[in-house]
Amino acid sequence: MQTVANIAVLVAIYALIGSGYVLIYRVSRVLNLAQGELMMLVAYLLFSLATLFGGHPASALAGAVLLSLLVGLVLYVVLMRRMTGELVIAAVLVTIALGILLRGLMVLVWTGQMARPLEKLGWQNSPLALGHGVALSSVAVTTIFVAIAIYVGLFVFFRYTAWGVRMRAVGENPLLAAQRGIKLHVAYAMAWALATFSGGCAGMLLALDSGLDGTMAIIGLKAFPVVLVGGLDSLRGAIVGALIVASAEVLAIQLIDPLVSDVVPFVVLIAMLAVRPWGLFGTEEDIQRV
Amino acid sequence: MIKRSQLMLAAVLGAFVSTTLAADSYVLGLTGDLTGRDAANSGAVADGIRIYFERVNRTGGINGHKVEVLVRDNQSEPSRAATDAQTFVNNEDLLLMITASLSSTYAPTISESKRKGVPVLFAGGVCPREVFPPKPDPLLFCTSGYAAETDVKFAVDYIQSVQKNATLGLISMAIPISRGSIDQAAEYAKSKGMKVIGHESAPPPTANYTPYATKLKEGGADWVLSWAPWVTQVKTFEALRQLGWKGNFISYGHNVAEEELKRIKDPGFLVFTTNGMFSDGQPVHKDVLATAEGKTKFPITYLNEGWVAAMTLEAALKKAGWPVNRAKLASAMDGLSVDLRGLRGGPITWTKTNHYREQLYYRVYGWDAAGNRIKTLKDWTSREVK
Repeated sequence: MQTVANIAVLVAIYALIGSGYVLIYRVSRVLNLAQGELMMLVAYLLFSLATLFGGHPASALAGAVLLSLLVGLVLYVVLMRRMTGELVIAAVLVTIALGILLRGLMVLVWTGQMARPLEKLGWQNSPLALGHGVALSSVAVTTIFVAIAIYVGLFVFFRYTAWGVRMRAVGENPLLAAQRGIKLHVAYAMAWALATFSGGCAGMLLALDSGLDGTMAIIGLKAFPVVLVGGLDSLRGAIVGALIVASAEVLAIQLIDPLVSDVVPFVVLIAMLAVRPWGLFGTEEDIQRV
Repeated sequence: MIKRSQLMLAAVLGAFVSTTLAADSYVLGLTGDLTGRDAANSGAVADGIRIYFERVNRTGGINGHKVEVLVRDNQSEPSRAATDAQTFVNNEDLLLMITASLSSTYAPTISESKRKGVPVLFAGGVCPREVFPPKPDPLLFCTSGYAAETDVKFAVDYIQSVQKNATLGLISMAIPISRGSIDQAAEYAKSKGMKVIGHESAPPPTANYTPYATKLKEGGADWVLSWAPWVTQVKTFEALRQLGWKGNFISYGHNVAEEELKRIKDPGFLVFTTNGMFSDGQPVHKDVLATAEGKTKFPITYLNEGWVAAMTLEAALKKAGWPVNRAKLASAMDGLSVDLRGLRGGPITWTKTNHYREQLYYRVYGWDAAGNRIKTLKDWTSREVK
């Protein structure tokens, strides 16, 4: 049972990070390879706000959530907007450069030392006994609920709100969407804001659970196979991809060898790319040679 | 408006003054990970060295000459370390290179050092094989506290001294040095009759340590030993506690250990280390605290390794005298004994056959819940370095 609980936590983490990749790709066809750095940046922002508003954890959390949306928005307006109309590969390269820049800046500002926002917020990460000998930290349990809430929120947003439908339209056919009067830049900016928010939530929860250091950016990249397995433009796919990759990883640790767990996501990924390159729930598109 | 000729004159004068200053001072080059993945560790080492020599310079320098430390950031990238090393060895005034970054940067640094005969001091990271007895490289020296094999043997012996029939779980980071040392720990523990329930190895970026902790707990470990970067050690321990594990966890004490013991406040979390903690309250610790106050972004307790490196370098430069060149400095380092005044359990002693040290001194620290303070669980214990 503990193994199932461990899988659930990892699924939640990967699904949250994966949603960031999917949101941007789905709307703009840009692969944001700075997703790991963005989640780390939001986690550091939470740490700074927690230091500033130590006595008011709710304010610090709310501030970090707002800042995550703002960071995504500003990044799009200042940087990615200029890439509109350019080759997609150019935009992807910009996100790589952005990631490198952010990593350097974060070390300069926050020194790369282990930061612990939970303690700054004055909270405890108490273990929760869930019955049948299963225990998880309270932040890990929160992570599962936050992932569920965000995915439900995103499904509702895309299905039932005007801007959600517009963003889907932009993702499917930007030219037609523009001709129908949909403001493309607003849709793209919203995608960046939402992606930074959902990835940032993963970063904040990871930082609250076990601290924050420079390796978080790599965890962002580790979630990349999740979205490739599930399909780069499918939120449903991100959940299923997270389930497959997280299960494979945890079961490899438990049943085979911990060292295998690092390789397993990529084995799953290669198998998927060989059989169904667009992923389980992704849209079948022309695959261009690189 | 300043004329071009005036600017040129100023530039020429500036270059002359800079050369003169360099020629009049002991010039050292530090290539370190200041903004990379090991910045928290290496950056503190670099700060310790910088702050130490700033004070040396304020108080008249060494043999009447100031010490100039040129610092370059290699981000623990081998290619950057190679560029740094090339730049340093081609600076004719430079006497010695200091490396404070991950071991992946060592190869290009060593290669450049050999090309131009520049001594290298490894400070803060693991010591390369070439500094150990019986035939160390004449140009390579190390002050870092780590010595994987000796470290884990000490830890296993300590566990056995506390609990004779302990069931031991092991956790490493999936990098060669950490895995290798924990494999050695497993073999050693088995040879001592301990029950070893397995060796978990977590990749450097791990989102959740609970699966590793689950396996250790379900395996029945009542002690867990880790020799790995701090993140792996502490996150595994915290995951174990989240699962309700009640055993003891002993980990290598990196420079962050003292602050972490104060944060964790768990009597079951122990660190073994070759560096004394500031809680010892030795005069040298008070000296470091007073000197470094307000001069570093790191907690001052992180500066231990950098301070040790700087004290050793000061002794080497003093012995080399003035004028000095690279060969003379390397020769001076070949027979050196430096009293570390309590920063470690004993001196750093380099000989022609040993550029690491002849004895390692370990201490075990833990948390005294009743006294709400760090306490020494085992006092300095020496181990011969073979």
